[in-house]
Amino acid sequence: MIEEINELVKEGLLKEVGTIKPNRELYEFSHERIREIFKQLLERLGEKGFYLATIVGTDILKDKKIRLDYYVVVLPEETTIVLRTYVDRDNPEINSILDLIPAALAPECEIHDLLGVVFKGNPALRRPFFVPEELVEKGIYPLRKDARV
Amino acid sequence: MAIDKVIEVPYALEIPVGPQHPALHEPILLKAYADGEEVVKVEVHTGYNHRGIEKLAEKNSFYRDIFIVSRVCGICNGVHANCFVRAVEQILGIEPSPRAKYLRVLAMELERMHSHMLINAVMAEIIGFDSLFMNIMRDREYIMKSKEIVTGNRVSADYMIFGGVRRDLSSDKIDKLRKLIDRVIPRIKYYKKLFMEDETILKRLVDVGVVKPSEATLYGLLGPVARASGVKIDARASDKYDAYGEIPFNVIVRNECDAWARMMVRWDEALESAKIIKYVLDHLPQDGKAVPDERRLPRRFPPGEAYTRVEAPRGELIYYVMSDGKPMPYRVKIRTPSVHNILNTAKFYIGYSIADLPVILTSWDPCISCMERLTIIDLRTGERRKVPMKELAGGGKKWVNPRYSL
Repeated sequence: MIEEINELVKEGLLKEVGTIKPNRELYEFSHERIREIFKQLLERLGEKGFYLATIVGTDILKDKKIRLDYYVVVLPEETTIVLRTYVDRDNPEINSILDLIPAALAPECEIHDLLGVVFKGNPALRRPFFVPEELVEKGIYPLRKDARV
Repeated sequence: MAIDKVIEVPYALEIPVGPQHPALHEPILLKAYADGEEVVKVEVHTGYNHRGIEKLAEKNSFYRDIFIVSRVCGICNGVHANCFVRAVEQILGIEPSPRAKYLRVLAMELERMHSHMLINAVMAEIIGFDSLFMNIMRDREYIMKSKEIVTGNRVSADYMIFGGVRRDLSSDKIDKLRKLIDRVIPRIKYYKKLFMEDETILKRLVDVGVVKPSEATLYGLLGPVARASGVKIDARASDKYDAYGEIPFNVIVRNECDAWARMMVRWDEALESAKIIKYVLDHLPQDGKAVPDERRLPRRFPPGEAYTRVEAPRGELIYYVMSDGKPMPYRVKIRTPSVHNILNTAKFYIGYSIADLPVILTSWDPCISCMERLTIIDLRTGERRKVPMKELAGGGKKWVNPRYSL
């Protein structure tokens, strides 16, 4: 386990919950604390110490949640860790980390367009990004499980 | 008389670069704002090529998905299929034989070689060195031929399958491959020397499009772009997937941080790939079947999730696959290196001249078809309206001369 991440677990910002195959350590956190966590990562690991690989948004229809997985690659060993959080499916809102980490631009815009998650504070969010205008007018988010595309 | 009208003289000129083949023969629009010759702002407009492959993958079975994902990108179809196949293998808990692992590496390294040769050739074309472009492309054909010998096809290979590969390699084919690779290596060395010594190339590439190491990580830049800025990242070395744990190779890193360094990293990596290929041909394990019996492959997929990385020619490629126990995946997420390398780099054009724009764009090695499967970005022009294809095809009077409309 990476020492800096271990410290965040001890401070209660992250909760260790297991692994995603193959051996990616998985941590959960409350979505209100997203900015705090990434500020801490920047402070402790440094700008050159990690990069945000991607954000994976998944619609968990049966729990009425949207799951957001932030994949962070810690350098120099390139250890991938997963920071997982859930937002409410009916009112999906989370703070943007774009101003802290510019690499969040592409994934945040994509998830907003496909799943309808609002990243508060991201000025680049806009629909339609690539979803056809007809779908936008009907309010359809294509990657939601109940969307018929 | 009171002034009632003001005519504003724009200080910046808006120049569209693209979307028809701005540098590569792929559609992307760089909207550049120039003050004289100097670029002051660039917006990256994409969205000419979107296909919705993630949703398509959720609607098809795991087996069909292998062939769907390998069509995300033409150049690097092998790495896409490999990344997906390995993710599903993780969920299934199966592992290919050592021979299959080596053959996968062989196919992927051939892909890296021809991809790097292609982008270096395109760079030569962009800076007006057309004879060099043609020479590199001619020598690239040896690699395409090698790939055909290994996988059965020059471009779209469809080589990967759960538990192995779909074609084995006989000893006479190995001899043929050795001859072809030996023919290409001195040519690549010559081109590398040319890129190091030719005055035209140096003038156009050196100190153009500089990316500092801290910017490379902060903006999430990947592959040769990051490695040319001194960031040592390589999924082959860190994840040691397939046979990379057993094959010796170097991760090429340079510290010049400019477009020239990115092209040099690619030449050095092509040579490194040639070394890996020769090692694979010399040490191809004889034990185990490389080609699994497709009739006996599992038909049930247990619930689970896997996240795999591959070092594609353009950088770290990611697949996240989630299964809920049904024949179709619950979620497939694809993140290609081009997403970050194209969309997050609008900042790095600023301060250079208009003529440098295509050079910088080419130095990212942009693969539009990789990127556009998922997202379109338009940074600051919320008020602009896009013309739907339907309107164009239907003869939107404003846009198309009715005489030529459908």
